[in-house]
Amino acid sequence: MLRGQLRRQSQGTAGSATHARVQNMVVFSVAGQRLAARTEEIGGVLPWPGTTPVPSDTPLVTALVRYEESCLPVFDLAAKFNRTVREEDSLCLIVKHVDGPLAICIDAQVPSLHVVPRSELQYQSGLDPDIAGSCVAGDEQLPLINLATLGVASRRST
Amino acid sequence: MGLRGQRAVTISNGHAVRFLVTSIGGSSVALPAHWVRGIVTPASAGPDGLVAWAGMQYERTDLAARLKIISGGLSHDTRLILYGNEEKARSFAVDKVLGLLDVERALICPLPPQFRGQERERLLGFFVDPSFVALIANPFWALELPLRPQALEIFAIRSSERSPSEAESIHLPAVAMDEALSMSTGPVS
Repeated sequence: MLRGQLRRQSQGTAGSATHARVQNMVVFSVAGQRLAARTEEIGGVLPWPGTTPVPSDTPLVTALVRYEESCLPVFDLAAKFNRTVREEDSLCLIVKHVDGPLAICIDAQVPSLHVVPRSELQYQSGLDPDIAGSCVAGDEQLPLINLATLGVASRRST
Repeated sequence: MGLRGQRAVTISNGHAVRFLVTSIGGSSVALPAHWVRGIVTPASAGPDGLVAWAGMQYERTDLAARLKIISGGLSHDTRLILYGNEEKARSFAVDKVLGLLDVERALICPLPPQFRGQERERLLGFFVDPSFVALIANPFWALELPLRPQALEIFAIRSSERSPSEAESIHLPAVAMDEALSMSTGPVS
């Protein structure tokens, strides 16, 4: 449902002078934790299909969800923030991860799109490599999460 | 899906792998059926856990615990899978035997690269059925044999060359499976 909006927004802004000065962001929440992410790191939003647990030693990657003809790995972003998401009232955020598509269970509230001036983005390297910094979107100061490298950066830093 | 009948996920002229699909702790766990030597009830095991069957002894291994799956516990559907090759044999309990399934090789997916831990040794991948997603246990790991790359390839059978009668002749102890299934309504001691 989000894919069409993302495409239209990207076509509308591509090549324009303002493109360089703004960043398209998606704001969503995971178990009540509000987060912002770059739109180019998101592949779409679907109803949560339910998971198949995988007995895994990989931190936060412990399930598969059905997607089209196959399955996607699930990154438990709620657990990363020591929270629990109610799967029955959830959406599935498809992430364009560097290792391949990834699913994240997010709250049922449909993600919102924001055009954020780059001046409102603050990149900083903190303790959590999955957090790129923060941004102001819709009058909210939100953590900016690196969806495309979720888990990868954490692993390198340990 | 019954054990007496078997079905294919797709009909094709490619290679397929025949799996015994089981349920352990709510997870569907599939093993290449080529190394299944028998399916018996827990009552068939001796006090030491050994199962003697068809002239061979099968030492018990707790596959559920090794897979890090919490088993559903003993029930009328619990079965011991007798699994082995020329080098090694083991028995392990499953909560339920779901049946045999021929899966086209192209439909068998490896674990996505985001899974980076020891689970890559335990699980070769998965396949999707309309009613479940089956995790494929590594048969070499299950038998505590040295692991090998592309382990599933040795289990591939050419589906275009296989007639229903030939399918029955592959190393599957179909009679034993039927017996095990018919025992499923009886008490488990």
